[in-house]
Amino acid sequence: MQGAIGREWIVKKVLFVLAMMTVLGIVLIIFFVAKESVPALTDVGLGNLFSSTWQPKTGQYGILVFITGTLATTAGGLILGAPLAIGSAIFLTQMAPRRARSIVTRGVELLAGVPSIVLGWLGFTVMVPWIRDLTNSPGTGVLAASILLGIMIIPTITTIAIDALEAVPKSHQEASLAMGATRWQTIRRVQVPAAKSGLLVAIILGMGRAIGETMAVALVIGPASSFPSSLTSPTHTLTTKILIEMGESTGVQRSALFVMGLVLLLIAMALIITIRLVSRERKVAAR
Amino acid sequence: MKMDLDTDMDVEVESPPLDEEEKAVGGRSDVERRMRERIERTERRAAICDRIATVVIWGLALFGLGILAFIIGTILVRGLTTALTPGFVFGKPEAIREGGGIWPMIVSSFYLALLTIAIAIPLGVGAAIYMAEFAREGWVTRVVRFGADSLSTVPSVVFGIFGMVLFVIYFGLGYSLLAGALTLALLNLPMVMRTTEEALKAVPCSYREASMGLGATRWETVKKVLLPSAMPGITTGAVLTIGRIVGESAAVIYTVGIFIRKVPTSPLSPAAPMAANIWHTYTEGALVSDWMRVANGEAAFLLLVVLVLNLLARLAANRFQKRLGAVK
Amino acid sequence: MSDNGNEIKFELREMDLFYDGFKALEDVDLDIECRNITAIIGPSGCGKSSALRCLNRMNDLVDGARVEGTVNLDGENIYRKNYNVVELRKRVGMVFQKPNPFPKSIYENVTFGPRLFGIRDRETLEGIVEESLRKAALWSEVEGKLKTSALALSGGQQQRLCIARVLAVSPEVILLDEPCSALDPIATQRIEDLLSELKETYTIVIVTHNMQQAARLSDYTAFFMIEEQGDPGKIVEFGPTNTIFTNPDDERTERYITGRFG
Repeated sequence: MQGAIGREWIVKKVLFVLAMMTVLGIVLIIFFVAKESVPALTDVGLGNLFSSTWQPKTGQYGILVFITGTLATTAGGLILGAPLAIGSAIFLTQMAPRRARSIVTRGVELLAGVPSIVLGWLGFTVMVPWIRDLTNSPGTGVLAASILLGIMIIPTITTIAIDALEAVPKSHQEASLAMGATRWQTIRRVQVPAAKSGLLVAIILGMGRAIGETMAVALVIGPASSFPSSLTSPTHTLTTKILIEMGESTGVQRSALFVMGLVLLLIAMALIITIRLVSRERKVAAR
Repeated sequence: MKMDLDTDMDVEVESPPLDEEEKAVGGRSDVERRMRERIERTERRAAICDRIATVVIWGLALFGLGILAFIIGTILVRGLTTALTPGFVFGKPEAIREGGGIWPMIVSSFYLALLTIAIAIPLGVGAAIYMAEFAREGWVTRVVRFGADSLSTVPSVVFGIFGMVLFVIYFGLGYSLLAGALTLALLNLPMVMRTTEEALKAVPCSYREASMGLGATRWETVKKVLLPSAMPGITTGAVLTIGRIVGESAAVIYTVGIFIRKVPTSPLSPAAPMAANIWHTYTEGALVSDWMRVANGEAAFLLLVVLVLNLLARLAANRFQKRLGAVK
Repeated sequence: MSDNGNEIKFELREMDLFYDGFKALEDVDLDIECRNITAIIGPSGCGKSSALRCLNRMNDLVDGARVEGTVNLDGENIYRKNYNVVELRKRVGMVFQKPNPFPKSIYENVTFGPRLFGIRDRETLEGIVEESLRKAALWSEVEGKLKTSALALSGGQQQRLCIARVLAVSPEVILLDEPCSALDPIATQRIEDLLSELKETYTIVIVTHNMQQAARLSDYTAFFMIEEQGDPGKIVEFGPTNTIFTNPDDERTERYITGRFG
């Protein structure tokens, strides 16, 4: 019996250590990315880093272009993808007959499984030529990237939005319909307001997905390290710049790429904290 | 397509005959009538809005399905018609000549996936058991959850450069399957944890009570009762995770490698999983004249693998549900 | 017209209700008179709530639910093609088993319906709120705190608020699905008093598992039952409440009622 209890104690400690691996992991990531950014942060300086010219040969490491690229493509992706995703979630929870529901649910799962490099390759070989022909421009750029991101964030947003909408008590829907509200009035005035914070979390997570996406964007956005002259001319985002230059850069330039990684980490952390705040507000409101 | 526009959206709103209504309100003034007219107008508008919204939402969902069908259809059809032959699948890659195959890349993908799973499953399942069965809600669980949430929000390219610094360079593993597997194990840890925790939570409480009631310790209960019952759920999660690993490229490019000609043999060999190799083919494309064919074929094969894995995961999940259903 | 000359509001003829392949109700014939209270009683699982939900087509929300036969409201079949369900639900309001106010203020709860129909004028809305709350016997308790959350009210008050919310839409019929099952005896008493008053103006159908309540409150009673697990629910007996409770035709009714009355 003594042995069993002793074993229990050891097991508990071992499992505890395994659980703490998540914490260790994130700490290590932050530590090493920060450590590698130090040379750029100290030698180059923030003023240079947060300027808009990226020209390593002349010692200019401005990453503003890429931050802008990330923000623009993310915004574009959300504008194109979020309505589709939220619409699909409303469809699945409120409107779809059973068979349509299972087909669309399966579709969302499939879409989540499509590797981003495959989507990027399709964008590069099919979509970019279309855009090039239609607009008489290089074709790569914010527009192409936004379209792919819009597609990629659908599964993320839809899944969370479904949870949020399903968490609204069915009795609210019944009460509204029983008073002679149309289905749309019920959705708009009862269910969406009640699921508001959950829908917000869904959109924030979709945003995180878009900011971090690399491969799909990499094949359709570049190559250029300057502000684009239009939505259909090349530029870069934080992730794609890291991807493209990490292999062939050394010294301060490499370190500057890690600064971009650090910026991405900070954005990710900010999103997590925002989600925590939104969810807490929801819990308080439910009380 | 059958549009289920329900019957509850008649645009023509029937109103009761006027005179009767007027009797009801005592034949009173204009004000009453104008009010009623307004209500009727609003109702008509509400009915129209409802119909428009229904059409729009249906349209959005179908449009999404259409995009998906286009993506999968184009990739598969193009790959199958132009590239996917046995000679391509089992062939050796070429660096400068045309006619190369992708066999080493296929092996790399699965090798990397299995190696990653071998690391991530013990870690993730152990962590999930701790969270679901041992931990009391408190700062520990909060910190662990925060860690998991953070890991799942970090962009995969950041995992890539982190893995490069820590595993490839600092640990001296070089570009290798092991360096990639360690990186990807960390990337997928939250997912393994989450699916395992869900599987454990789905095991009825009565099982725990029965086992502990017989004098089993918590760990014995976990080992003998909970894990076997949760196994199908954990398997489903593992299969889905394999799908994600096979499709991952940003975290792989700077930890495993993007091009090889020989099948990798040891965990310390450099390798080139399919997803990463498509990137190589895109960037170094011009070196071989049939690079488009190679990438098309590889994309199609990769998508097929992911689709099959999703199907397997779904089958496993269905079996799981049936088993739980039988318990009730 | 029924035997005693009152107008018939609802007329159900050979109504069947299916959930997919499963037949939940069979051959329901029922006449519901205007400005009366009709009670639906029966053991749990006999389909009495389902029957109630056929009257405002709330069953439409359930996947695979299908109604056959006729349900006439003022002589018009509400299950005919292209029937305006939204309009139907405006005319036939419903109060649910568990009080389900929206997580909004009392005022917003009562004005929810009127606002749907485009009434925005503040004075009119305030008038509707006062009138509805008065009719629901809640006005004196909430006057002056209309802006507070409806969720702060007691269960009985919440249920009366739900009744007020329905009244604000000016329905002709009010359906109540075991409205007192979550309430204490005092709150129940208040609701019963309220219903007795409301029947002067409205047609009321109430599902209840409490036979004393049916006996006290209703003018007509329908007794539903299933023979065996898996069979559809059927009406065993329907008639004036007095007859059903003192001199039922059917032996099963008698057994059920005496069994419960002890």
